[in-house]
Amino acid sequence: MSEKRYYHAIQILDDNCTGCTACVRVCPTEAIRVRDRKATIDQNRCIDCGNCVTACQFHAIIPRSDPLDIIQNFKYKVAIISSSYAGQFSEDVSYPVAKQALLKLGFDEVAEESYVTEFVIRIIRDYIRTHKEIRPIISSNCPAVVRLIQVKFPSLLPNMLHLEAPMSILTRFIREEVQRSKNLKEDELGVFLIVPCVAHVTAVHQPEGAYKHLQDGACSAGMIYGKLKDLLKNIQNNPQEIDTYEKGLTWALSGLEGEMAEDKDIRALTVNGIENVMEVLSKVEDHYLDQYDYIVLRSCTNGCVGGCLNIENPFVAMSRIKKLIREGKPFDFDTTELDDLYKEGEFAVVPLKPRSIMELDKDIKTAIKKMKQINEFLIMLPGLNCSACGSPTCYALAEDIVQGKATIDDCVVLLKRHTKEEEQ
Amino acid sequence: MAEYWNINPEHESAVRDFFTSVPEADVVLDFEIGEKDFVNSGKGSAEVKNTLKRLGIGPETLRRIAVASYEAEINVTAHSQGGRMDSYLYDEFILIRFTDKGPGIADIEQAMVPGFSTADDLVREMGFGAGLGLPNILKNSDALHIVSAQGESTRVEIMIFYGN
Repeated sequence: MSEKRYYHAIQILDDNCTGCTACVRVCPTEAIRVRDRKATIDQNRCIDCGNCVTACQFHAIIPRSDPLDIIQNFKYKVAIISSSYAGQFSEDVSYPVAKQALLKLGFDEVAEESYVTEFVIRIIRDYIRTHKEIRPIISSNCPAVVRLIQVKFPSLLPNMLHLEAPMSILTRFIREEVQRSKNLKEDELGVFLIVPCVAHVTAVHQPEGAYKHLQDGACSAGMIYGKLKDLLKNIQNNPQEIDTYEKGLTWALSGLEGEMAEDKDIRALTVNGIENVMEVLSKVEDHYLDQYDYIVLRSCTNGCVGGCLNIENPFVAMSRIKKLIREGKPFDFDTTELDDLYKEGEFAVVPLKPRSIMELDKDIKTAIKKMKQINEFLIMLPGLNCSACGSPTCYALAEDIVQGKATIDDCVVLLKRHTKEEEQ
Repeated sequence: MAEYWNINPEHESAVRDFFTSVPEADVVLDFEIGEKDFVNSGKGSAEVKNTLKRLGIGPETLRRIAVASYEAEINVTAHSQGGRMDSYLYDEFILIRFTDKGPGIADIEQAMVPGFSTADDLVREMGFGAGLGLPNILKNSDALHIVSAQGESTRVEIMIFYGN
C-alpha cells in the first residue's frame, strides 16, 4: 500500500483536549483513539465527516478552513457560495443582501452554486441514462461520502457518479469566462468556496478524482457569517440590484436533489445522516437496492444544511431555503458553453481508488489468526463499550491490542476489578 | 428425516473431506434469530459480512456470502419458531449453519423450486415470501446441505469458498 498522506480539515488542540472520548464514540470509521489522555486521529481512516467537531465540548477539535486574508494574493477574487449559505440568515435579511455582503468583504464577484443546479441535474440524468450497465449510480457530491466509500465500501467505487460536483463545474465555467472577459492571467484569478462543512474544505485542498487545479481556498460559512454580521444593517439600508438564483437552491437539501433527478425512467432514493448512509451502502453492496437508478447520499442531517461549519439548525435552514425556492423567480440561463465543456469531457473525473485500511492483514490466514486473538481478548474484556480506555468499543480495544497499539491494562474496568480482588 | 445436498463440483472433495472430519474453526460468530422478528433479522448476516471485510475477502465473494446468509436468516425468521445462526471461519471458506426449532420443511425438493412459497400473510406484508429464498441460497453457495422433516427442526448448512 502506498504511504499517501491525506489532507484533513480537522485539527486537535492538545491543550484543550480532556481525553473525554466523546469524539471517539461518534466517529463512523473508528478513526479516533485517546491515548495518554489526548485524542489522536488516524489520518488514513478519517473521512472528514465532522462528527467529532460537533461532539467536542471543549473546543479541542477545530475545523480548519482558510482565513479570509488569503484572497488578497489574487488580483481578481471570486466567491462561490454553497446553496446552504442561504439558510443561515434570519428572515429580516433578504437573500440578495446576504449575497452582496460578500462584496464588502473584499470579493470582486459572488457566484452561486445554485446557478448551475438545473444544468447539473441534466448531466446527471444523462450520465444515469448512458451508464445503464451500472445500477444504482451513487451521487458523488458529498466529499465525506466519497471518502467513506473509499474506506469502507470500496467495491462500490465503480457505482459513483464520475462527474465533478456543482461548485467545481461552476469553477471551471468561471475560470473560462472571467479570465477571458477580465483579461486575467491564470494566477491572477482566485476562486474561493464558502463551504458548509470540513469535508468540502478537504475536497478543495485534496480533491478526489480531479484532473485539474480548481479552487484556491475554502472559507467556512460560519466564519464568513461572523465577519459580515455587522455589515448587514448598512447594506439593508442601501441595497443594490443584483441577480440571485433561488430556484437552484435545491442542492442544499438532499431530498430535493433526489426528487429533481427523478423522471419517468429514473427512480431515485435519498438518504442523509452518516449512520443511515452506511446502512444503505451495505444494502447496495448486497444488490438489495438495484431497483434504484440513482441514490443521493449526504453525510449530514438534511444534506449540506447540516454541515458543521453552518450556524443555523439544519431544519430551520431547510425551511428557509424551501421558502426561498418557492418564492424564487425562474431564470433563463444560457448553457451553451457548459454543454460544450460537458461534451468535451471537461467535467469527468479520474476513476476513484480505494483506501483499503479495514483489513487486519494482507494475508487472509494471518488475518484469521488475528481475529482469533481479538476474540480471545474480547472474552476477557467487560463488554461495556464504555470507551474509557480510549478505544470506541471493547472490540476495537481487542483489535488495538492485537495490532500492538494498546495493552489489556488500558481497560479501566478490568484494572478496577483486579485491584478489588487484590484487596480481598 | 429428509436430506438435501448440492455441491459445486469444483469443491467436491474439499467439501466431503470437511464434512467427514469437521475441524474446529478459529473464529466463530453466533446469533439468535427470533420468530417473525423482522426488525432484527438481517443483523446476523450483516455482522458476518463486516467481519469478513476485515479479512480482505474480495467483493464478489462477500456479496455471495451476504446474500446467501441474509436469505437463510430471513427464512428462519419467516418460517420457523426461531433459531440460531452459527458462522465458522476457516482459512479457505466459511461454513454458516442455521438451526431452527421447527416446524420443518415438508418437501425440500419442492421448496427449492423458484417461486414456491409457504409464507403466510404477515410475511408477505413485510415484503418477503416470493419463493426465492432457497433458490438464491443455492445460486450463491458452493455447498448447500439441508436436513429436515415435517414437524421437526431444520438445519441448513452453507459453505462458500473465498476464492483468490
